[in-house]
Amino acid sequence: MSHQRYPSMDPVKEPHSVSLKVLRYSIIESPCHDKKMLSRPSLVTQHTLAAPSELQPAAADAAADHLVPASLAYRSTAGTNPDPFLLTPILNLPPSFGSAYVGETFSCTLCANQDIPPEPPATTQQSARAPAQKKSIREVKIEAEMKTPGSATVQKLLLGPSGGGSAPATQETGAAEGTGGIDLDAGQTLQKIVNFDLTEEGNHVLAVTVSYYEATETSGRTRTFRKLYQFVCKGSLIVRTKVGPLPYNNNAMTTEKGPDEQQQQQQKQQKRRWIMEAQLENCSEDTMQLERVVLNLETGLRYRDANWIVSESARPVLHPGEVEQVCFVVEEDGKGTPVVEDSDGRVVFGVLGIGWRTEMGNRGFLATGKLGARNTR
Amino acid sequence: MFGWLAARPRSSTKGPLDADEAPLKSPVVAQVSRALSPQVRGSRTSSPFARSPARSATPAPLGTRDFSHLLRPEIFHQLSPLSIPPPFRNPAKQPTPETPISELLAQGQFRAAAIASVQALTSSPVSATIAAAHPPVDPADHARVFSLLYIRLACLCLIDSVPLAAQEAKALEDLNQVYYLDPVTGAHLMPWELRLLAIRLQTLGFGDPRRAIMSYYDMAREAHLQIAKSAKAHDHSELELWKRRLAELGVKVGGALVEMEDLAGAAAHMATLRDQGLDGKLATAKALLWLHLGDVDAACRCVRDGKGGDVGEKVVLALVDMANGEFDDGLKKWTGLKAELDERGIQDEMVGVNLAVCLLYLGRMQEGRQILEDLVDDGQSSRTLLFNLSTMYELCTDRAKALKARLADRVSNLEPTSHGWEKTNADFKL
Repeated sequence: MSHQRYPSMDPVKEPHSVSLKVLRYSIIESPCHDKKMLSRPSLVTQHTLAAPSELQPAAADAAADHLVPASLAYRSTAGTNPDPFLLTPILNLPPSFGSAYVGETFSCTLCANQDIPPEPPATTQQSARAPAQKKSIREVKIEAEMKTPGSATVQKLLLGPSGGGSAPATQETGAAEGTGGIDLDAGQTLQKIVNFDLTEEGNHVLAVTVSYYEATETSGRTRTFRKLYQFVCKGSLIVRTKVGPLPYNNNAMTTEKGPDEQQQQQQKQQKRRWIMEAQLENCSEDTMQLERVVLNLETGLRYRDANWIVSESARPVLHPGEVEQVCFVVEEDGKGTPVVEDSDGRVVFGVLGIGWRTEMGNRGFLATGKLGARNTR
Repeated sequence: MFGWLAARPRSSTKGPLDADEAPLKSPVVAQVSRALSPQVRGSRTSSPFARSPARSATPAPLGTRDFSHLLRPEIFHQLSPLSIPPPFRNPAKQPTPETPISELLAQGQFRAAAIASVQALTSSPVSATIAAAHPPVDPADHARVFSLLYIRLACLCLIDSVPLAAQEAKALEDLNQVYYLDPVTGAHLMPWELRLLAIRLQTLGFGDPRRAIMSYYDMAREAHLQIAKSAKAHDHSELELWKRRLAELGVKVGGALVEMEDLAGAAAHMATLRDQGLDGKLATAKALLWLHLGDVDAACRCVRDGKGGDVGEKVVLALVDMANGEFDDGLKKWTGLKAELDERGIQDEMVGVNLAVCLLYLGRMQEGRQILEDLVDDGQSSRTLLFNLSTMYELCTDRAKALKARLADRVSNLEPTSHGWEKTNADFKL
């Protein structure tokens, strides 16, 4: 993600009293969890080293570990380090901007800092000049907008949790925080968090505007600056679907039937059934584990999952470039509600939703367009 | 499978990594014959090891085998002091060139130890006093050659110069060649730890990740045979040593698979391991792997019902909260754990660092920064701590460079210990 300072919107030529700093987390959101989520920091790795033989104590306790303490990721007397394993529980903040993927939530933290340089030590030369007036910085505000590839206008973003707040970002707090500014003393920071659901591939631009009131003992003025951050959003998952008709379900009956049941059987025989297959290809650069694959069907239809939950197998893991095939049986629910058909007589099923997780629990979610089957009647 | 099952139903499927209390019928594969004729690698002849490779300090008769090809000066790289922040370069804080290597290691002066070991290896001391401190090695003294090489490569890793170490480890060439084996006993002449390290470095140097896994399996086969042998001889300390080595190899294979990005393979492999000789750390290791993969439910299952120990379970559950984006709950858990450990007088840098990271995700970076600075004041200085604190400095001012330089100065004033003293510019994001 590259950034640039916006050409001066501020007529004052002096350096700004507030600086803006940004750290991005790559993050993901899923509709089943309404809360928006930041991506996670990463587990730190370690390569433990045995102490050189000659420095090891005598053979009496040869079975004990003698590791070079500096080869451990961190110090602990609590035994929390799973040495000699590679992964450790200590967390590193994201080092830099990673890739952003469709289905994830773009997220970053924005920090507006009271950054007036400290007074240089007074020299005779400087004391001859007019002494710099003490400035106070009030009503610091951060606003952010996103420009997506598909839309001509920008979208205003809600900014998450307040500096001292402990509640996760909700729309209300975001909006409330957006209106008022806060005063910053020297070295203080106003920290905000941006969340934005990525739905399009291509170039995105995040525009951040910082405004504040700079007051001296005798006067004051409102100042503003703006920075632009550009990043590219890539596709994460390719979904290919295929729908085929299944024969009517008429051999699943037991022998002894009352008239009512026979009638039900008649109804059942009227039910149309289809098999829907989908291939999910991981086209991102990260390993993902599929969490759930669900159909969100139109009225008059129901489905049976025929995937890992049914077979009680482990959730599929997709390395970059790998494909997982999933399968559903879709049928009319027999409650008499007509199924939705489009003008070509095509039965509209609904959408396929795929939820996945990546490193440290990052979530992703995609929904397909409307899927359907040709009329087989 | 590295497991230790009391009864194994199908021992015929036992692989080279399996361990069992009952020795195999003809348990020993002679390394010599194996290396001499690779096509009979799997054959089982009896040629017992006289000593374990790690204990070959007094070598078996080796004639005048010459290792001078490992001592050529062109193998070793110059280490530039420019990657070190200025406060650490202060001559008053640097050790004198005469300091013995063992003392350098004890003080965490790994760059100096890496340089001193090369001076001894290449017989290139710059002065007589240094020559006295690091006497040139005899090319026939394989024990000292390998010991110095291990110190050199390990220290390069510790000062964040793994790429250089990977280049230098290439000079060892095939680790299984006959030249490295005792002609009488067939035991490997290199210390166990050098072989482990050389495998990882050669894997990086030759860019072939599968190499590590194959080599670990080879070593596991050896450990397995040694276990059988020491069980037969009722040598308990040997038995424990080799059991621990086998268990460690199992964990290392898991780590190598993670590094190959084969996370599903790593998870499948780790599931076959039993917590033997690892002090109950395996449950935490498995949970971390699932977290790395993103499966929080599986991570929870690994530490449930006391499997991960009390503290281990709390750590994993706090990480799970963060993985689920529930930073409030995570914060409560980290705060509670920190208070609990503080009360018991137990220090754990990780709990403090993770608490600070959690605060940043809640928009409370200033508090997080304070916690990290307190850890530095307490004498902690892990890479992760310094990296995260430097990241926070970058976020909270345009003049982060001055703050980072001041941090470097503070860290350089910490007492040198075996935890390592000198840091690199990258540690401070300078």
